[in-house]
Amino acid sequence: MVFRWSWREIWSGQLWPVTAALTLIVACVVALSALAVRVEKVMTDQGRSMMAADLVFRSANPVPESLLSDAEDLELSLSRQIRFQTMAFSDNNMQLVSAKAVQSSYPLRGDLLLTGAAGLQKNAVQPGELWLAERLFSLLDVKIGDIVAVGDAELQVSGRIEAQPELAYNPFRTMPGVFIHYSDLDKTGAVQLGSRVQYRIFFNGENDALKELQDNHQAQAGDSWISEENQGRSADLIIKAKQYLSLTILMVILMASVTLVLTCRHYAASRAESVAMLKSMGAGRRWLRGWLLSQAAVMFSCSLIIGSVIGIALEFLLRLPLQGILPQQLPGYGWLPFAFGASVALLIGLPALGIPLLRLLDTAAIEVLQKQNSKGSKKNWWLAAAPVTAFLLFYGASKLVWMVCIGLILLFLVLAAISYALLHLLSSGKWGAAMHLALSRIKRSPQTTMMQLAALSGSLMLVAVIWLVRADLLGDWQQTLPPDAANVFALNIAPEEQRRYLQQLDNNSIQRSEAYPIIRGRLTHINDLNAKDKAAENNQDVHALRREINFTWAEKLPVYNELTAGKWTAENAVSIEASLAADLGISVGDKLSFSVNSLPFSARVNSIRTVQWQSMKPNFYFIFSKDVIAQMPATWLVSFRIDEKQIPVLNQLGRDYPTVTLLDFRTMGERVQSMLVQISWSLSVLAALGVISGILLIFTLLRLSLKQRQNEITLYRTLGAGRKRISRTLWSEYGVMAAAAGLTAVAGAEALLFSLMKWGFQLQPSVHIIMWFALPALAIVIVFVSLKSVIQQLLTPLK
Amino acid sequence: MAKSVLSNETELSILEDISFEISAGETIAIIGTSGAGKSTLMTLLAGLDIPSSGEIELLGQPLSLLDEEQRAKIRSESIGFVFQNFLLIPSLSALENVTLPAVLRGDGEDSAKARGLLQSVGLSGRETHLPAQLSGGEQQRVALARAFMTQPEILFADEPTGNLDQHTAENIIDLLFAMNRDHGTTLVLITHDAVLAGRCERLLTIDAGRLVEPM
Repeated sequence: MVFRWSWREIWSGQLWPVTAALTLIVACVVALSALAVRVEKVMTDQGRSMMAADLVFRSANPVPESLLSDAEDLELSLSRQIRFQTMAFSDNNMQLVSAKAVQSSYPLRGDLLLTGAAGLQKNAVQPGELWLAERLFSLLDVKIGDIVAVGDAELQVSGRIEAQPELAYNPFRTMPGVFIHYSDLDKTGAVQLGSRVQYRIFFNGENDALKELQDNHQAQAGDSWISEENQGRSADLIIKAKQYLSLTILMVILMASVTLVLTCRHYAASRAESVAMLKSMGAGRRWLRGWLLSQAAVMFSCSLIIGSVIGIALEFLLRLPLQGILPQQLPGYGWLPFAFGASVALLIGLPALGIPLLRLLDTAAIEVLQKQNSKGSKKNWWLAAAPVTAFLLFYGASKLVWMVCIGLILLFLVLAAISYALLHLLSSGKWGAAMHLALSRIKRSPQTTMMQLAALSGSLMLVAVIWLVRADLLGDWQQTLPPDAANVFALNIAPEEQRRYLQQLDNNSIQRSEAYPIIRGRLTHINDLNAKDKAAENNQDVHALRREINFTWAEKLPVYNELTAGKWTAENAVSIEASLAADLGISVGDKLSFSVNSLPFSARVNSIRTVQWQSMKPNFYFIFSKDVIAQMPATWLVSFRIDEKQIPVLNQLGRDYPTVTLLDFRTMGERVQSMLVQISWSLSVLAALGVISGILLIFTLLRLSLKQRQNEITLYRTLGAGRKRISRTLWSEYGVMAAAAGLTAVAGAEALLFSLMKWGFQLQPSVHIIMWFALPALAIVIVFVSLKSVIQQLLTPLK
Repeated sequence: MAKSVLSNETELSILEDISFEISAGETIAIIGTSGAGKSTLMTLLAGLDIPSSGEIELLGQPLSLLDEEQRAKIRSESIGFVFQNFLLIPSLSALENVTLPAVLRGDGEDSAKARGLLQSVGLSGRETHLPAQLSGGEQQRVALARAFMTQPEILFADEPTGNLDQHTAENIIDLLFAMNRDHGTTLVLITHDAVLAGRCERLLTIDAGRLVEPM
């Protein structure tokens, strides 16, 4: 009977809102974590296919044997690559190329697409083959079958490289590439003592084994490990998207927990009389404990089963809009999301159900006849330690999550006080009868009011944060790589060609950047101290000091560079990029010395700028005032955007200016763009889910709170209060509450967003004016709908 | 015995200097005005609470010396209740509500006996109905059937007709006394209705926490 009873308590009794809240937690956690597992796998796979393997070891020195034998022990598959720069010679021309000598197993991940004679497609490089980047065919003036010398090795051109992983994002580091086989490397004579060569080993295998390998071999000077998490632009996207995913999961769990706590309190309150009655009939504590436990068990089982099923369906629904961009064969999500869902539900349920139910157990038998004025004991609050501990263990290291939590607590403390004061202030004014009654009601039960206010403003705040973090993230991504970003760079434009070249672009309505002169040089001294020593002093291995870099001069700074210190001046001045300035400890006013073709000169730092290196715009570490380097010989650089129909123009430009180097980033741009679209979609769907569950929570809370008023309202009705009076009072009360909660939520959300953006996602925070109006409006709309849905029922007079 | 409670830091005396005996099989009414202390007296008699001073002996057991669990055991074995507001479990059917005391006592569901009791209160055919589907009078009849389920030695009835109209109330009272007679139960009835009290063999009047005149 006890089981039957529990079952009926759930379906026909008061327990179903509790079960629903618990089911919601399970469903959300299962759906979101299943989606997270999948999206993460997909994103990781994408990242890995871009780097050609699961893990890459990169070194300036030959790879230590111990690493290779370790990898073998760990059953990792591996592939070797050596990169070097060398001259390539054809019968007609020569060109500096970037050569990759790879084994036939390359790439371990991602696609290498090679097209040989007669359109024959291949995916691996075989001994004796030579594959050229498209551009080299014109630069070297060769065709398939011709002989090209790569260093000392004479090889027959096998075909062209159509697609390859490992594309660089930095336009200045890209030279036309060739692929040769690893076994042909010695013939080239390129790898000799002292030659600049980069060794790469690609590894594939189980994540644990990869991690172990990485842990066993810490990168020495000149070495580095590359995983999908530290390889530039796409890694940044993935990390931020993952952060957002866990943030959303956390917020949805938080909101569902609030619902659970409130519905459970409500249930416990409504069952106090039954427990007292059972005790009066002689039910002992043990029996009652068993009774409540069986209810909780039945409820948990139902929630877990139904929640998991809904979770699976929800994951499918969430994935629907992503179908076009997710791979056909999706990785499975295994049992992890279900285990996660169950443990989250248990951890939250333990205190949320445990505290009120154990208190229910303490109901005195005497209450069956005489209401006791007992204060709720706090002795069972230790149960709350369970989720708190789990939370600390799980999220302890996440800055973002801490921020949300501290934000929430601060919000509740500060803003609760403010809104309470606000309500008091309101109630001291002169109002109509309805408003007066409403305000006195709000004031009369401060504890209930504060709880409702906290729940309402808290959930509104979370809803706003979920939505706006998404908007801010997408905004930032769009800004750094807008759909109309440049996709071609033209380098080495001779000064005498420059005007004509730009003219030709403009005549064809091609969107382009300003043209910048390029002068290659080095930074030698900082305030007359050797720059390399200064770098060593700061414990920095500064890439920009190890090689010649591009200098430019300008009349004014590019508008897309943001000044962080100083201001642009036109005499003997240089503006430096912010991260380099930080690495070298350079500040405004410092004297910097440079050398170009062994010719020394110096300039004073007038400003420091931030630069978006991935923005596909011409960017420089150093921009000089015209008087410093304008007299030096320079070539020019311009970036522009080529659309599908402008390809003939690009080809024409290639023919008209054979000495101008064209770097074509169309493929890579499209790839990053499509990834951006994919992640944006995921984030939007997630955000929508978060917002919907938040609004549902608020709706549930309001209905619950209104239902609790049933007796009081019925009494007013019975005493003859008019429908209008009561409904006006209710509207006023909940309207005031909604407005106060809305404003509180706005302030809280703005503060939380600021910290999340600044310290969590490391982006520029912004103010969200629209939210200041939208959120209170949303609150009032939700209140309106909730009230509308129960008011008929509430206004029925006593039967 | 006496009972006092702490209210706003001051001790408030509810019952004072109370002393009487109830014999097995007796029917006794405790009457008095609202706030006189009738309900408090009943909570003490039934072992739902213990007196501040003095002693109550119930079925040969001194209640003050027993802990809550032991008192609960006595209630489940020997005592039945009928409440003013019926206090049925809303999610259990009429039949299940009747079998509840037996379940609490660990006897299991004796559906046949419960059916018989429901029949004796005139509710056969309504076994599967939930309390919300029954009228007030019907709910109190279910409560009566429930009270007799475990063959209690003593039945406490707290204003059993307080929430019923006069006609229904009379029916319920007739039923209560009839069943009481049939089962040979001691009946302690709390009421402020003098007519109802008059049907009992003995009257105890409480006024301002004191027993006025044992009759």
